[in-house]
Amino acid sequence: MRDEFLMAYRSIKERKGRSILTVLGIAVGIAAIVSLMSVGYGMEEAITGELTKMADMISVIPGEISGHGGYVEKGGFTDRDVNDLQRIWGIKDISAMVYGAAEVEYRNKRLPIFVLGGDTKELGGFYVEPVGLKEGRWLRENDYKGCVIGDRVANDFFDEVIHVNDKLIINGDKFIVVGIFEKASTLYAADVDPHIFLTLRISQDVLQTEEIKYIMVRVYDIDEAEEIAEEIEETINDNHGLDDFANAMTMGSALEQIGTVFNIIRVVLVCIAAIALVVASIGIMNTMLMSVMERTHEIGVMKAIGAKNRDVLSLFLLETSVVSLLGGVAGCGLGWGMAILISFVVEMASGIEIAAIPKPGVFLGGIAVAMIVGVLSGFYPARKASKMSPVEAVRYG
Amino acid sequence: MIRTENLTKVYRMGEVEVQALRDVNLEIQDGEFIAIAGPSGSGKSTLLNMIGCLDKPTSGAVFIDDIDTGKLSENKLAEIRREKIGFIFQQFNLIHTLNALENVALPMFFAGVGRETRLKRAEELLAKVGLGDRVDHKPSELSGGEQQRMAIARALSNDPEIIIGDEPTGNVDTEAGNAIMDLLEGLNREGRTIIVVTHDAEIAARAGRTKRMRDGKVLD
Repeated sequence: MRDEFLMAYRSIKERKGRSILTVLGIAVGIAAIVSLMSVGYGMEEAITGELTKMADMISVIPGEISGHGGYVEKGGFTDRDVNDLQRIWGIKDISAMVYGAAEVEYRNKRLPIFVLGGDTKELGGFYVEPVGLKEGRWLRENDYKGCVIGDRVANDFFDEVIHVNDKLIINGDKFIVVGIFEKASTLYAADVDPHIFLTLRISQDVLQTEEIKYIMVRVYDIDEAEEIAEEIEETINDNHGLDDFANAMTMGSALEQIGTVFNIIRVVLVCIAAIALVVASIGIMNTMLMSVMERTHEIGVMKAIGAKNRDVLSLFLLETSVVSLLGGVAGCGLGWGMAILISFVVEMASGIEIAAIPKPGVFLGGIAVAMIVGVLSGFYPARKASKMSPVEAVRYG
Repeated sequence: MIRTENLTKVYRMGEVEVQALRDVNLEIQDGEFIAIAGPSGSGKSTLLNMIGCLDKPTSGAVFIDDIDTGKLSENKLAEIRREKIGFIFQQFNLIHTLNALENVALPMFFAGVGRETRLKRAEELLAKVGLGDRVDHKPSELSGGEQQRMAIARALSNDPEIIIGDEPTGNVDTEAGNAIMDLLEGLNREGRTIIVVTHDAEIAARAGRTKRMRDGKVLD
């Protein structure tokens, strides 16, 4: 076997430039798979990992989530809904929330910003504990003119950075910033960073609504979450006389949904990578065909001195295997580099932290795919080489 | 013994048929040194390709040790080329990516001889043709004469009974040509059958018997 490898090596080395290009062609295809899969796993981990920490939560929204992921809002909850929920056994905390866009002015610049209001204690439990405050303090029930702002509101939205004790005008009313959140991690970034937090009552005043848009529930026992979620839906549906007014979703079912979404994403990513591989395999076939053409004379000589068709076939297949293996390994390295780069760019662009995850299965799979694609695309040229008539091949060139 | 029976080869080039061999009947005894002479286009190389199992006849037959080679499978033919026949070409036809040792060892590689035995024998064969100090050289680093001697060493690789040379001195100078003929004479003395195609009368004169060809026919 050593000699076969030596011959393959010599022949690859002899056509260095073209071999490198072929290796690169395969490597790019494999790198596409490896990087997309690694980032995909990182994304999934970033989201499901944090969701798992919140497994005791049930989020209740007034409306319906359709099978296609759409959301149809059906109005809002009432104080009665919230009070009725408190009678359900097994519930630890209930936080009613209101949200909506408000016009916010700071030093003569006006912007529409999302305002979020809730019971200060519960809301604090949901957001202050995991995210933390950078400056100031959290809201108190009697903070009629106090607000807490997210990191992007403080640092990015306005021309000047907002600090504690600065004044904001929200829908015409003056507020004092009493606290500023830390920059939130991936999961909380969308909920906290671009928002302004008020007490429930004040937010209802500011947004001029009586309705509650969102109820967050914490249960004592995670195993009972599904049952409690059903009970929540029944209770609220009864209040409103509708079958499907409330939608209570446990984090467990959210995790399942996210899993489904990621499976779809993964299929799409693999399809994209497959296209890259098809291109690479055409490249291999082309290179090997050219190599066969170029070496017609050599093949003829080999056959003249006693090589059987099988010998020629295996020599050429070994050569494509070596090239494909090199491509596969290079692709894994390149792919991992690309995965890190993608994570970095995503973090820079959106502030969402996604650590690409190196899974041995992805790398081994990448190399295996490279070998399979390589050998399959090399087979036709190798067979063509092995079938050549020795006398014609010797005469060639 | 090699025997041809009404050996005919017709090449088809588009619409045109070229009769390269016409009813050639020839017998070559074991241990004979025979030269086949004739102008280019007379069919001598075609005859050599038929005898060397590189090509199949259109009609008629080639017998090597009473085996009709036309009836053998491709694999069997490859086996005969490997075990019974050593080829020497005018253009040397060495593998330019391999060095002298590897080139000479190649037929043994195809015969499944172990690496150590192979390299040892290749080294001995190179020494025999006077290239003992050139084992690491690639063909391109050697003169034409040296390359042809390397090709002779390769032809001897699997210790064949028959050596076939297609204008073996055609691409080297007179001195190198004489050295090559000396080697071939030596191999003939060892009992090998030597068949050489040439259009050089001097070379032909060194063979034990000369057959002349013209227009695809062997002249008496």
